[in-house]
Amino acid sequence: MPVGPRRSRALALASSASALLAVLVVAVAVGSVWVAPDVVIGAVRKGLAGEALRPLETVVWQLRLPRVLLAGLVGGGLALAGVVFQGVFRNPLADPYLIGTASGAGFGAVLVMSAGASVPVLASLGAPVVAFACSLVTVLLVVFLARVDSALPTVRLVLAGVVISSLFTAGTSFLLVAAREQAGGILAWLLGGLAFSTWSQVRLLAAVTLPALALVGAFSRALDLLQLGEEGASLLGLGVERTKLLLLGVATLVTASAVSVAGIIGFVGLIVPHAARLAIGRPHARLLPVAALWGAGFLILADLLARQVIAPVEIPVGIVTALVGGPFFLWLLRRRADER
Amino acid sequence: MLRRLAALTFTLLLLAPSALATAYPVTVVDDLGREVTLTAAPARIVSMLPSHTESVCAVDACGSLVGVDTYSNYPASVTELPTLGDAFGPNLEAIVALEPDFVLVDEYSGLQVPLEALGIPVYAGSPQTIAETYDFLVTLGTLLDRETEAAVLVGRLQGELAGVASVLAKVHGPTVFVELDPTPYSVGPGSYFHELITAAGAVNIVTAAMGPFPQVDPEYVVLQDPEFILLTDAPFGVTAADVAARPGWGGLTAVMSQRVVEIDQETADILSRSGPRLGEAVRRLADIFHPGTF
Repeated sequence: MPVGPRRSRALALASSASALLAVLVVAVAVGSVWVAPDVVIGAVRKGLAGEALRPLETVVWQLRLPRVLLAGLVGGGLALAGVVFQGVFRNPLADPYLIGTASGAGFGAVLVMSAGASVPVLASLGAPVVAFACSLVTVLLVVFLARVDSALPTVRLVLAGVVISSLFTAGTSFLLVAAREQAGGILAWLLGGLAFSTWSQVRLLAAVTLPALALVGAFSRALDLLQLGEEGASLLGLGVERTKLLLLGVATLVTASAVSVAGIIGFVGLIVPHAARLAIGRPHARLLPVAALWGAGFLILADLLARQVIAPVEIPVGIVTALVGGPFFLWLLRRRADER
Repeated sequence: MLRRLAALTFTLLLLAPSALATAYPVTVVDDLGREVTLTAAPARIVSMLPSHTESVCAVDACGSLVGVDTYSNYPASVTELPTLGDAFGPNLEAIVALEPDFVLVDEYSGLQVPLEALGIPVYAGSPQTIAETYDFLVTLGTLLDRETEAAVLVGRLQGELAGVASVLAKVHGPTVFVELDPTPYSVGPGSYFHELITAAGAVNIVTAAMGPFPQVDPEYVVLQDPEFILLTDAPFGVTAADVAARPGWGGLTAVMSQRVVEIDQETADILSRSGPRLGEAVRRLADIFHPGTF
């Protein structure tokens, strides 16, 4: 008996959610030291109650748990934004950084790191805030430049995005060359990392990402319609420009928050949506939550590898996402080709 | 011990009048394995690395310097010289226009290629350890006809380090974490900085397996709980308060006992330049790790 779409959605969601839970448990237990489950439970209990922590419990509660949760939120957010960008642009190469989010944020963060000592205002705001602000300014600039009257043609948006990104990337490269002594740390930030994740970052990102998931989910039918082309979608009664702006706005906000706390982590927003689509198909009502769950699990695993492969030395997590995600995706792609 | 004796003998030998002058042409091998030949004592030297500038001046050849890189700031007299960019962003035309007869560059700068093509002798290299620092100073003495000065300098530096070591022999060595930047990047065995720490009587929590410049998992620092944290990124705005505010770091012994040390720019220069201020570098670190002992 064929499984109905509602059943299959529930099935895909339930299996993805339980896989994420398993990944979460492993990622909290494994680290520079292996932590037994009872220590984890004790640390969480004491942490929630605000009691004094033993050193190992400090590691679990103040470092590892926020780190794992933040990796999940960042990965989930980037995957969500990736689905939105690929859906709105109807372009398989679109990723959350397409219209300048990453290059703007990168420029802002590098500005703080290289000039923070001489410009106290920058230092007091901190890299995350400045990165977030620059990210939003960049995207607004792109939207402003791409706009024709009240319409926002997709091609112009992509072109303006690519060019503005190059400009900001050039600025970043200049700062990097000028601040050579800090180049290692800046480069590590640009490649993404979750080393100093805090509970306040977790709260902040949860407050942005989870409502965004619900909001975009409510527009999953609109995303489906957009796949028919903008004319087709408007014929079916969709306010195309308004919908596009809203979806891109939400996705940008999610991306910018993710970048501001974790740096520029590539590949998640590009590959996870494709992988999810290959595995479970297009309808966005199903694709959106599954991609978000996979993105969360994928980045938690990637971060686990990043801190574990040559522990206690870290590798920027962006390197891991590409190194691990790339071959996996190619395997998925080949397997699908064989079935045809 | 043998090494020190050998160096001392070497010094004494060089002090004998017959060994005073370099016989030109002289050929040495640089860090890239290139043969560097000088036909006469150079009179117009360009240094493209702050540590090279310090070394040239320390063997009493400061008067022959005609240009330096942007970061060279010691001794103070070199700040009067034309600046020629830095190792990785050199102003090649400005270097050539000074008509140098000898140029010292970093081995990774690639500067030796264009300069050599113009017939200018270039030494490409930089000491990465304390032993290499001694060797480099001796080599420099040979190249610049300052063999005696170099030998005396090396003898003095070895004496200073031996002096610190003898005082520290009976003292407990505290554990330390060195932060190069807030990523946090650190230093491990195989780096000059690690050798300085060791010479100053402290124990680096970064192990050999982690490499000379590892990006360290913050969990590792919490678990090792070092007695000192050195912030060489303090000149870039990182403070002890920042460290205390990091997740899980607030309870570290170094934080609780206020041993998170913000390194000032001058000290950071001394610690990062493998050159004639080696003794000063070790003494400053020893003062941090063992206050009141010296």
